[in-house]
Amino acid sequence: MIAREQRLPRWVRRAVIAVAALGLLYVILGPLTSLDPAQQAGLPLLTDKLWFRIATTVAMFVVMAAGWNIIGGLTGYASFGNIAFFGLGAYAVGVLVSNQRWPFVAALIAAPIIAGLFGLLMGVALLRLRGHYFAVATLGVGVAVGEVVNNVPSLGASTGLFLPIVRSDLLFFYLMLGAALLAVIVTWVILRSRFGYGLLAIRENEEAAAVIGVNTTFYKVAAFCLAAALTGLAGGIFAQWNSFVNQENVFPISANVQMILMAVIGGTGTVLGPVAGAVVLELIIQTLAGGGTNAVYSQIGLGLLLMGCVIFIPRGVIDFFGGRSRLSLGYLRQTLRETSA
Amino acid sequence: MSQFTQQVILGLLLGGIYVAVALGFSLVWGVLNIVNLAHGALIMVGSYITWTLFARLHVDPFLSLPLDAIALFVIGYALQRGIINRVIRAPLLFTFLLTFGLNLVIVSLLLLLFTADFRSVTTTYSGAGLHLGSVVIPYIRLGGLLVALVLAGILWLILNRTRIGAGILAVGADRDAAQLVGIDLRHLYALTFAIGAAFAGVAGGIISTFQSITPTAGDPYTLQSFAVVILGGLGRVSATIVGGLAFGLIEVLGQSAPGLGSGYANAIAFVVLVLVLIVRPRGLLGRLA
Repeated sequence: MIAREQRLPRWVRRAVIAVAALGLLYVILGPLTSLDPAQQAGLPLLTDKLWFRIATTVAMFVVMAAGWNIIGGLTGYASFGNIAFFGLGAYAVGVLVSNQRWPFVAALIAAPIIAGLFGLLMGVALLRLRGHYFAVATLGVGVAVGEVVNNVPSLGASTGLFLPIVRSDLLFFYLMLGAALLAVIVTWVILRSRFGYGLLAIRENEEAAAVIGVNTTFYKVAAFCLAAALTGLAGGIFAQWNSFVNQENVFPISANVQMILMAVIGGTGTVLGPVAGAVVLELIIQTLAGGGTNAVYSQIGLGLLLMGCVIFIPRGVIDFFGGRSRLSLGYLRQTLRETSA
Repeated sequence: MSQFTQQVILGLLLGGIYVAVALGFSLVWGVLNIVNLAHGALIMVGSYITWTLFARLHVDPFLSLPLDAIALFVIGYALQRGIINRVIRAPLLFTFLLTFGLNLVIVSLLLLLFTADFRSVTTTYSGAGLHLGSVVIPYIRLGGLLVALVLAGILWLILNRTRIGAGILAVGADRDAAQLVGIDLRHLYALTFAIGAAFAGVAGGIISTFQSITPTAGDPYTLQSFAVVILGGLGRVSATIVGGLAFGLIEVLGQSAPGLGSGYANAIAFVVLVLVLIVRPRGLLGRLA
């Protein structure tokens, strides 16, 4: 009973700190968003159309961050090439709908399968690498796939592919939301299965995992395929939503790092971490972006935010606000002590 | 045949640039175990210093290289001491993300200072070259290759003939043991990163002589540095030279292969990179980890 009474203020204190931190962040970053007073009055949630666009984007990043979390967070293989799956999913829908005249639904089923198969190939080839090597090899594949796609005439080359426009904000919002829910459920199921324990064992110590009978190659590749399929699904939905697909908009390296950042800010290896990270970060980015004229300031803000998160809360906000830590300032100090030279 | 010779020469000259670009990157990776994604941004800082000196004061780009080195040395020391040392013991994902954030901030600051316009350093000898029969060797590129080799020599001397170099190698081999014999790790990390940054600055100065620069023009060089280090192997100056020259050759010859073009530059590089990683993870000249 006493323990419970002590616990309540701590939660309240954490909530206050959370609100204060966000407030402070807004006060610091707010003036950077726009110098134009009219822009400043225009909050990101002002109009319905804009709201749908932002909400759909948030859901899209939830899918990507959750997908990355399966390979990067649960299995411990920091992939920097997941954007390849997003792009392949988008191009799959692009080609099937605009060139082959498939119905969108059929193409949308094909997208995660194609991305997943590519994940299988990539996984078999690259998952034997570790650490920096794996990270940059995947980054290389991400860049290379985008470049090849940009050069193949039947894929629209540098012009890109145009899809018939479907005007329904609601449809794409629900599709993305569905995909996001699916990604969260998949993570939840994995974490409660033998498969999930195998992945965590690989993350903690791959040799030991192999010794106790985890088929590490199979587990790693399967995790990579799942991540690829989910990310490809998001790409497929994006293709039809955006109704235009080219290298620049479906293979952006920045989005690659954004999804990782979201998972890290939220908390890697958890079910809800990537969701929290995607929501928080995407809203901050949208706020920072303002009218779009101040992209430079939003980039600086994003970079500083990234560095601050990595230095002070590497285990993510989920751990920071809900973890075992006692005092939040002490938490920051302890984190710093653990990783500093 | 002479066209092939020309391609090989261009490949080697391009490879020289890659050597210059990758030396600092390889040093930081080998000693600090950090893959520095801000390397490209540091290179661009060097490029802009050279450009500013050239455009405002008409300083010859090759004469401004020492200034690039000094400026970047100071910046690099401050960055490592103030920021990167804070995550040096964290898992690699975090150093990756931190340096990515750093890259973002530096590139954005350059955008604010210099805008996104293309800038170029055009000297009186920019278009000239050495004619040997039907083969042409541009002076600028030749100068770049020479500077790269000088840089490699300087790095080798620092590492093998100075006290600081001995300290750097000791930390690279075993940081705990190095600390036990009295090396100030924080200072040495900062010094290593500063040297790496200084080399990046010089590379940036060279780069501004033969290509138009924008704040984001450095980003591809980060990836290419990585490819060079993988190709040559980590932990030796000679490996970086071999890796850089080989990478330059592969890029130039790959693009002239039938059916491919300059649009495939990165794709060729990374297919090679991935193949090397799979077949020979230590690189061509690398030591066993």
